[in-house]
Amino acid sequence: MDNGERFDTSRMKRSHWAAHFLEGWSVFIQNPLGKAGVGLLILFGLMAAASVIPPWIDPMYRPMTGVDPEIVRSVGPSLKHWLGTDFMGRDLFSQLLAGARIAFMVGVSAAFMTVVLGTAIGMTAGYMGRTVDTLLMRLADIIMVMPTLLFVLMLAALFGQLNIWTIVLIIGLFRWPGVSRVIRSQTLSLKQRPFIEAARVAGASHLRIIFRHIMPNVLPLSFLYMTFRVTSAITIEAALAFLGFGDPGTVSWGMMLQWVWKTGHMFKAPYWLLPPGICISLITLSFYMLGRAMDEVLDPRLRKEEDA
Amino acid sequence: MPEPILKLEEVSKTYRTKGSMFGGRAAGLVKALQCVSLEVLKGEIFGLVGESGSGKTTAGRLIVKLESPESGRVLLNGEVLSTLRGRRLKAYRRRVQMIFQDPYQSLNPQLSIYESVVEPITIHRLAAGRERMERVLSMIQTVGLSPPESFVNRYPHQLSGGQRQRVAIARAMVLEPDFVVADEPTSMLDASYSAKIFNIILEMRKRFGITILFITHSLAAARYLCDRIAVIYRGHLMEVGTAAEVIHHPLHPYTRALIDALPKFGLAEQIPRYNTLLEEERAGVEAVGCPFFMRCRKAHRTQCGREVPGLEPVGPGRFVACFFPGNGGGAGGKGS
Ligand SMILES: Nc1ncnc2c1ncn2[C@@H]1O[C@H](COP(=O)(O)OP(=O)(O)OP(=O)(O)O)[C@@H](O)[C@H]1O
Ligand code: SF4
Ligand SMILES: [Mg+2]
Repeated sequence: MDNGERFDTSRMKRSHWAAHFLEGWSVFIQNPLGKAGVGLLILFGLMAAASVIPPWIDPMYRPMTGVDPEIVRSVGPSLKHWLGTDFMGRDLFSQLLAGARIAFMVGVSAAFMTVVLGTAIGMTAGYMGRTVDTLLMRLADIIMVMPTLLFVLMLAALFGQLNIWTIVLIIGLFRWPGVSRVIRSQTLSLKQRPFIEAARVAGASHLRIIFRHIMPNVLPLSFLYMTFRVTSAITIEAALAFLGFGDPGTVSWGMMLQWVWKTGHMFKAPYWLLPPGICISLITLSFYMLGRAMDEVLDPRLRKEEDA
Repeated sequence: MPEPILKLEEVSKTYRTKGSMFGGRAAGLVKALQCVSLEVLKGEIFGLVGESGSGKTTAGRLIVKLESPESGRVLLNGEVLSTLRGRRLKAYRRRVQMIFQDPYQSLNPQLSIYESVVEPITIHRLAAGRERMERVLSMIQTVGLSPPESFVNRYPHQLSGGQRQRVAIARAMVLEPDFVVADEPTSMLDASYSAKIFNIILEMRKRFGITILFITHSLAAARYLCDRIAVIYRGHLMEVGTAAEVIHHPLHPYTRALIDALPKFGLAEQIPRYNTLLEEERAGVEAVGCPFFMRCRKAHRTQCGREVPGLEPVGPGRFVACFFPGNGGGAGGKGS
């Protein structure tokens, strides 16, 4: 901003967003779904953060490479291995903690990609209209009907094991159409609103209208969609890993399930099978609850802004 | 006589309505403006008066180039609007501004008052730094939001409708334009607030010498504010003249009907009733005649039903589109 202004516009901007956020947060946290979702996520967040601790205590707690030399098979919980060990004597609890980190990483980065792509494409289609709109939305239709999982499986079959970031990239490239449809329709209705026309009359360029006037009004919606996309990204990664197409270099919960299955412990080692299964269900559930609660917070506010 | 700054030459605009598949509405054409010609003189406030749906906003949108005419030309200072592109269009955007009807919709809810008013200056790079800020503050002061420092940090939802409309006026005026379209700027506000907004508009004209096209459905507002007015009905101009003449000596049956509809507040004796409106609309009207034919008491069945009356001069600066203007309906013919 300019030097010497009598009031600080950037600080004021921050406080505007802060006020919006606090107002939203107070509604949000009163919502039982929101409360449960946030609680669970804090728990998983702690798990992810704690994943660095066991390997630091003893190298045998390294989730991937650490093996307890005294045990080289799967045994049940003990004081030394709280959840027991896997088929080659690796600590399951350490793996579970590391899995939380991977889940966040995959979920959030894939969701971020989908949402950035979906928002950009949706705004472009809605704002430009005509041919651009038709082309982008046909493309969205085509991608939407392609089953992501099947496609990744085919890629994996073609190129061998996929790196975890490749998986994230593919999820991102495949899941934007849903977001872009919502953002497009929001953009279409914003485009008709007089404040956009006022900006045009003032001489604003298309880029200015998109970034200055449309984007701040669709971002809350994008953010909402991000939480739902986290859920689907985590599920896809888990399914891939379980089917044996995950990144062999990472310990995700899906990977753990795949090892249970492949080594024939499915019905013999509930201490190994249940924790990752429960974690996958709970983390997707918690992001879903977060999204639903956010939906309830955002919706009336979006409506209020519309007729305020 | 001052020269015209804005000219509309036989401008027509038709909207294509989609029609809803389930609502039973057929797709169709709405002729929002039909062969409208008018001139607005430099420095005047020109009123465009008509009922809802008569095409007033459409005319305003054509002038600020939010819409293009289907046929005919719009000229500002001799420049034809449809030829403007790129840099010349941007220069045009600096000179011509619009105040929108609904102040609840015309400000971006995510921008502070300062950000809304400063934007046009930033776009046209008219000033920067301290000077830019001073311009915004002084404009906010001019529209009556005082002290300006206490308003700049607020957001639209923290202001009343009238205050928002003042911000919208400030945003339009901060560019010091030559021409402003004010589209019913008070129709969404309390009646008591209208006079304040009118006075701001008058003040703006005095201070910056701006020419204003003032769109309204109220003859009373037009009388208060305007130098000249044009009465529009279903996309056709019906009558043009100075505000005083048109309102005190209306010649067109439709203008007379509008004046009949004004509230009288016990002044019935001073205001003649013209009684030019039919109680029941004529049925089975061909679309070829006078647009007012179905509601006109004075209509001559053969002539008015078959021909469209052109906007003809009936005196200096006075135009009427009627085969039987003025007399014949009888001014003061109370309860005929
Ligand atoms: N974008 C559009 N698409 C289709 N029809 C339209 C559109 N805009 C206006 N119209 C139609 O054109 C006609 C004139 O509309 P306009 O908005 O110019 O009227 P107005 O005189 O401003 O009315 P009001 O006093 O209600 O604002 C109306 O019949 C309206 O339904
Ligand atoms: S032309 Fe005929 S129908 Fe039209 S306003 Fe005049 S008298 Fe009435
Ligand atoms: Mg209008």
